[in-house]
Amino acid sequence: MTDEKQIAVGTPEVGTKNSATKEAEARREFLKKVGAGIFASLFLPALSSKNFSLRAEPGSHFEKLPELPEKTEDEDLTIRMMRDLQRALKKPLEERKWSMVIDLRKCVGCDSCTVACIAENKLPPGVVYRPVIQEEVGTYPNVRRRFIPRPCMHCDNPPCVPVCPTKATYKRPDGIVTIDYDRCIGCRYCITACPYNARTFDFGEFYTKDKGNHDIMPYENVETYEYGENWKRQEGKSPVGNARKCHFCMHRIEKGMLPMCVVSCIGRATFFGDANDPKALVSELIGQPNVMRLKEELGTRPSVYYLT
Amino acid sequence: MVTTSNPKLKTFLIISGLGGLVGIATIVYRLMEGMKVTAMTSSVPWGMWVAFYIYFIGLSAGSFLFSTLIYVFGQRDIEKAGRLALVSAVMALVAGLFFVWIDLGHPWRMFNVFLHWNSSSVLAWEILFYVFYIIAILAEIWFIMRCDLARLVQRTSGFKQTLYRIFSLGWQCPDTAERAASCHRASLKATAIIGAIGVPMAIGVHGGTGAIFAVVKARPYWYSPIFPIIFLVSALVSGAGLMTFLYAFLGNKNEPDHKPIVQKLATWMTIFLGIDILLLIAEMLVGLYGNIPDHIAVLDQILKGPYWYVFWIGQLGFATLFPILIYIFKKESVNWLGFAGLLIVIGIVCVRFTLVIPAFVTPPIPHLNEAFNQFRFNFKYFPSLIEWISSFGIVSFVAFLFTLAYNFLPVYELAGSDSTIRRENDDQ
Repeated sequence: MTDEKQIAVGTPEVGTKNSATKEAEARREFLKKVGAGIFASLFLPALSSKNFSLRAEPGSHFEKLPELPEKTEDEDLTIRMMRDLQRALKKPLEERKWSMVIDLRKCVGCDSCTVACIAENKLPPGVVYRPVIQEEVGTYPNVRRRFIPRPCMHCDNPPCVPVCPTKATYKRPDGIVTIDYDRCIGCRYCITACPYNARTFDFGEFYTKDKGNHDIMPYENVETYEYGENWKRQEGKSPVGNARKCHFCMHRIEKGMLPMCVVSCIGRATFFGDANDPKALVSELIGQPNVMRLKEELGTRPSVYYLT
Repeated sequence: MVTTSNPKLKTFLIISGLGGLVGIATIVYRLMEGMKVTAMTSSVPWGMWVAFYIYFIGLSAGSFLFSTLIYVFGQRDIEKAGRLALVSAVMALVAGLFFVWIDLGHPWRMFNVFLHWNSSSVLAWEILFYVFYIIAILAEIWFIMRCDLARLVQRTSGFKQTLYRIFSLGWQCPDTAERAASCHRASLKATAIIGAIGVPMAIGVHGGTGAIFAVVKARPYWYSPIFPIIFLVSALVSGAGLMTFLYAFLGNKNEPDHKPIVQKLATWMTIFLGIDILLLIAEMLVGLYGNIPDHIAVLDQILKGPYWYVFWIGQLGFATLFPILIYIFKKESVNWLGFAGLLIVIGIVCVRFTLVIPAFVTPPIPHLNEAFNQFRFNFKYFPSLIEWISSFGIVSFVAFLFTLAYNFLPVYELAGSDSTIRRENDDQ
């Protein structure tokens, strides 16, 4: 703890380097790398969004994976999850099983994940991939609040997939339920079939259109990068008129970065990784006795687990 | 009936034609502006258009199954309404397909259903069924009308004659009475065969449309084996109601058998209605007794929600109680029976709304409705102005088409061929 305090107040580098400052330097170096890793995980997709294939073979872009600090005993969970991610990416696609664990005891209901996801995927009005459900339990004055973030469950037995009349939505071998935007006819059958309401429809609206005396603001016309392609939203063109949903930030994880909701969580309540890897953090958490999934009685077998 | 000199019909043609133009205009507007012209949301993704889609598919299947009562199951006493039933089956199907088409987020990608056909999707199967079904009805109409069409080619001239020639596909009926009779027998046989194939097809068409909803385990109100059956029976009710209404007011009232036919149609309507009530009671009682939260929430919406009148007045009043009372107390009046048919045709619209929309207004996860405060995520729905206008427009447009077909096609047997057919029937 003392070392951290020293860093926090910014120990001046004067005189001979004693052991304390040496340690502090090592920490600083470490934090730099952590910072770089997190920074890269935030901005890399925007910088290198082209030349990326949907079903990327392992090894094709390893040189671009974020550099991680050396492994330590008590390393940060984000770093550990990134390490898990890189390990998973070295395996063939079909041997990965992307899963998410959300610790409800740690969620404070700040909606950071909801907002970060909207920013990352440039979601228009009414389209939301990860709302946070807020529940009030008890009666005044004995009231508690409970928060349940609800991404797409990426079910192993997804009810949305068989109902699609055009096979536009399907489950990838690594567990992600995806949508082929160009094939989707916008019938919204999948939206009705999802027991979690995890799918929303892009009605083609803009936040800034017809508001005041200006047209759509330029930032709303920025292309959104999903399923390995850039999409410019305009009437009659995908993704307008399509069903849209959470895709575990596929574009990020294939670059070795954690989904946006994971890195933006202020309470470290959301975890992500490969459940097929017994050493992965998510596998450890899924094995805990206080784990549960939403609406298990429907046999959907979600890939999103909750710790209660 | 092949003249347009009737001023009432002319007025109706003009009114429905104008309404149809409004409908086309709103459809063009919707295609340009996209789905944001509707009041639907991500949480209530199916609204008025889907309700009308299943309504018209039901009306079509109901009318068609009704025609098979005559051509397949030998209920010859109501034969005069047979062609009317087939023509309205086509028109209702056209209306239904119109509604489902404008409901697509990408209407121009509709052929993806065939290009990337998904055999596990009930909706994909339905689209396929609709195609075969419309072919079957058109074939049946051609067989039952071909001799009359051939006669009309001879009786008319100019543009009309060309049209009749196209519709008759160049068919020529034999001249002599004896051979004409055998030709008619062949037509009836073909109609019976196509009708027999059409019965499972029509059941597939509308039972399947019910199955689109019934297979959705996410919605406990839909997820029940009784649901497709309810669809089918209410389709039969609406089909019989439409026939009663149309034949009571459009049929030739001077014919001696006009009234008995209307009464028989109304009897069939009431029989189907009885089965429908039985299913409704079963559905409601079991649901209410079960008291499963997700299920009871929907039933609460239907019975006590803000749109309670759709169920209590529309479904129970218009589509159930009033027609039965009319049938009991006013059976001798053709006009009253026709009115009962009209009430059913209107009331079943409410039945369709009740089947679709309440299932959406309760969030599948408690408090999800409060999780994200934006209009397009709302769990509330009331159709937008465009949805109302376009729905009225499409209905008008199809009414216009129906009126044209009614005036132009030999919907009733031609006077010249009547005697031969009567004799033919007597011989059998």
